[in-house]
Amino acid sequence: MKDDLMLEAFESRARRRDQRRGFRAAGSMAVVAAGASLLSGCGDDEATAVPTPTPTPTPTPTPTVTDGDILNFALNLEYLEAQFYYFAAFGSGLPTSILGGAGTQGAVTGGRQVAFVDPLIARYAREIAADERAHVEFLRGAIGTTAVAQPAIDIGSSATGAFSSAAQAAGLIAAGQSFDPYASDENFLLGAYIFEDVGVTAYKGASPLITNKTFLEAAAGILAAEAYHAALVRTVLYGKGVETPSLRTSADKISDARDSLDGSADKDQGISPKDGASNIVPTDSDGIAYSRTTGEVLNIVYLTKLAAQKGGFFPNGLNGSLNTSTAQ
Amino acid sequence: MTDDILAIETLERRAKRREERRDFFRTLGAMAAFGSAGYAASSQSAMAQSAPSDGDILNFALNLEYLEANFYSYAVFGTPIDTKYTSGSGSAGTATGGRKVNFTDPVVAQYAKEIAQDEIAHVDFLRKNLGGAVVAQPAIDVGIDPNGAFSSAARAAGLIGGGASFDPYSSDENFLLGAFIFEDVGVTAYKGAAPLITSKTYLEAAAGILAVEAYHAGLVRTSLYRKGIATPSLIDATEAISRARDSLDGSSELDQGIADIGDASNIVPLDANGLAYSRTTGQVLNIAYLTNMATARGGFFPNGVNGTINMSAAN
Repeated sequence: MKDDLMLEAFESRARRRDQRRGFRAAGSMAVVAAGASLLSGCGDDEATAVPTPTPTPTPTPTPTVTDGDILNFALNLEYLEAQFYYFAAFGSGLPTSILGGAGTQGAVTGGRQVAFVDPLIARYAREIAADERAHVEFLRGAIGTTAVAQPAIDIGSSATGAFSSAAQAAGLIAAGQSFDPYASDENFLLGAYIFEDVGVTAYKGASPLITNKTFLEAAAGILAAEAYHAALVRTVLYGKGVETPSLRTSADKISDARDSLDGSADKDQGISPKDGASNIVPTDSDGIAYSRTTGEVLNIVYLTKLAAQKGGFFPNGLNGSLNTSTAQ
Repeated sequence: MTDDILAIETLERRAKRREERRDFFRTLGAMAAFGSAGYAASSQSAMAQSAPSDGDILNFALNLEYLEANFYSYAVFGTPIDTKYTSGSGSAGTATGGRKVNFTDPVVAQYAKEIAQDEIAHVDFLRKNLGGAVVAQPAIDVGIDPNGAFSSAARAAGLIGGGASFDPYSSDENFLLGAFIFEDVGVTAYKGAAPLITSKTYLEAAAGILAVEAYHAGLVRTSLYRKGIATPSLIDATEAISRARDSLDGSSELDQGIADIGDASNIVPLDANGLAYSRTTGQVLNIAYLTNMATARGGFFPNGVNGTINMSAAN
């Protein structure tokens, strides 16, 4: 009897995850429409394209991609995360001494210190900021002289900027409105939420492509750190969601928006509970975190379903050879 | 200007604390960035020369998942995992001593149920992938006897005195501390094993389980940290458990509690490079067996784990 109960709970979670996939076929339409308005702003007439049910290709090792290419790809993402948290926590960006390198160095647009109300959120922000900076410095050291420079990064709160576009695509705000992740504890957490799970899927997707075992283990160590960060952010949003239910639904909407950008496979989940269980951990029915290819990761940070080399949080694109999003 | 200084101070304090805590590891100096040579060497010695197969590694992981799944299953459902998940080669045993937690905070109950489902899914997933090579669930002690594993671990950490028992099922807080004992260890185990896995498919799957364990650990640490505002002893307890783990697994610093570092929290246990720690299989078994010696059983696994990787390291 109790076994049955347990089995049922277990199956309901797996079922829920499966259902979310099917659900997307209909549910993502609304998000796609929202995304379409975002894209139409860029004058792109393919924006109305409906996602085709082609299975997303699994990451396959490509001989032309070196470990250095992959680590440089990761470095671009770490620049983005580190700058966001640094500004939020301290009101300033990373020191310029750790921004130079190959490719075109760019500036950070926007970003400011959050006037945190909850002192715990401020401490979390400082912890994550320090971790992300450590990742930047670690990767730069590991890559050596071929490390890429920080590209141009948009972490501002302008109505046409990346955060606002992402929030519009998720339906958190209306078209033309701005989303300011520095305006409140809650907005900061939602801003962080936009990034953290993506980092996990990026490192996981890249893991089988890395040939050097030392780099692989190091990448696994960063993957773990990103997953801890993601859990921190999701747990705090979930906890605050008891008092403020919109935090949970906003997180759910951001996940749906990410999922509408990166192709038809379900690679994302919000945090809202189901059948008495929370959903802090986004996993498939095997209890395993998702993978994203580099192209899928760029779909999200460029905020596009198309094959592009720039956009969203990286107005001039990433530095390095892995810089093109996937056509979905 | 002030903010810049603040930023630097936070970073330096955080890095400094990590440096300080690294003890012996720090003496390896420049090896820090890619100081995995030591890891490779010690893991080899723990495995008696021959490199483990992917099946050996997945079976090792499966033993740990059996332990976690049974702990959470008892806490949430009041029963061990279904016997359909426990067959295989080796010496089959039962998971004993757990019971259902009467959760007070519904959010903690929801977390527990989520993690239970994930850990059972991991057992199922690993079993499916191992096929005929799968090891049986060994005997597992998740009970509250004063001589049992949880009480021994809590005593080693100084949370309870001689003869007392630690009951991870008696309250939300004790449940979270019980979970804390396991979760970070799972992360370091999967990370340590990652470079040993040869199949790219298994590697990516293992990376996916690693991520999930890190999410779980982040969840548990964040919850304890938040509750620690009202109940500071919870934060002290994580530091004590972390020190106990670190005293079992050798001289390297591989663990951290959740006490603040300067003006920043410490939800994520990382080295000075911002990387999670690795443990060899032998070091993981030091903790699971609750011994700093080379043995084939003890602690949470009274008859040892099943499979070829079953010896803790001599530290």
